[in-house]
Amino acid sequence: MTLEKLNDPREIGHWPGHMETDYIYTLGIAGERFFNEIKKNGKIMGAKCKQCGIVYVPPRIYCERCFKKLEEWINVGKRGTVYTYTVAYIDLNGAKLKEPTIYAMLKIDDTDGGLVHKLGEIDPEKVKIGMKVEAVFKPKEKREGSINDIRYFKPVK
Amino acid sequence: MSAKIKEYLGEEVKSADVKEGKVLTVRYRPNAKYMWSTGVAMSRFLKELKNGKIIATTCNKCGRIMVPPRMFCEQCFKPTDGWTYVKDTGTVNTYSVSFIAGDASRIKEPIIVAVIDLDGASKGMGILHTMSEIDWKKVKFGMKVKAVWKPEKERTGAITDIKYFKPL
Repeated sequence: MTLEKLNDPREIGHWPGHMETDYIYTLGIAGERFFNEIKKNGKIMGAKCKQCGIVYVPPRIYCERCFKKLEEWINVGKRGTVYTYTVAYIDLNGAKLKEPTIYAMLKIDDTDGGLVHKLGEIDPEKVKIGMKVEAVFKPKEKREGSINDIRYFKPVK
Repeated sequence: MSAKIKEYLGEEVKSADVKEGKVLTVRYRPNAKYMWSTGVAMSRFLKELKNGKIIATTCNKCGRIMVPPRMFCEQCFKPTDGWTYVKDTGTVNTYSVSFIAGDASRIKEPIIVAVIDLDGASKGMGILHTMSEIDWKKVKFGMKVKAVWKPEKERTGAITDIKYFKPL
């Protein structure tokens, strides 16, 4: 009593499948306004809590510390500091990239928040934690209300 | 919503707002592909479908003829003993009528999904397939049906090599 085995791997079939798991994500009240400011005015906005003084970037509609509604929106400028970073040599599918991509967590100056984005116009070896960077926007006609309307952050000279 | 709650708080985004681009959106299609190895029994089953035949496995201990075929008898806990062909005719074991297509869209002409107990196999042994050439209101449990095959050239070694089952 033995199990039948296939010795020729070509005899074994495979069944390919593709799960259709498309999604559409809407940005919400704060996200909508935040990305429209980037798209139309090239401005990075933050939401300031009048009660505790925290400046949220990206902005929210409620303060998560004191639950106060955030009504004051401020232009926080486009400069920030590298909080931490990583260098990717492969893409999402594992294919080798011609040029490495530098991903960084950036603290936006004079705020309590930050953005995850790419760094550009710099060698990966020269990136330092704490270095000053600023946002480089796409030309206005090419902006579509996405985080990619900021092309990357480059070192401040 | 209930008798007390007529509308929810907050700002509602309607699907028309998304379609017309009134609100910003992020669209994504995850690349969720997979490959399922069909194993010894199912590989042979699919290969035989391409030849227009339905194959089953047998167990000498319980005497069952099992379709779809498997390499292990789940009642006797032993490997199956042999292969045998079963007929492409059978009996409707159970069925369901769907007015919704695979993508959840509403359809006028319903899809009749049925479990067909195949002739030549043991009782309760059969395959899940669709039925056609019949008004859905006339489908009955226990009715005799026969497979309608694709032309030989169009068969690919898939369960869809049988187009559907029609009443005998």
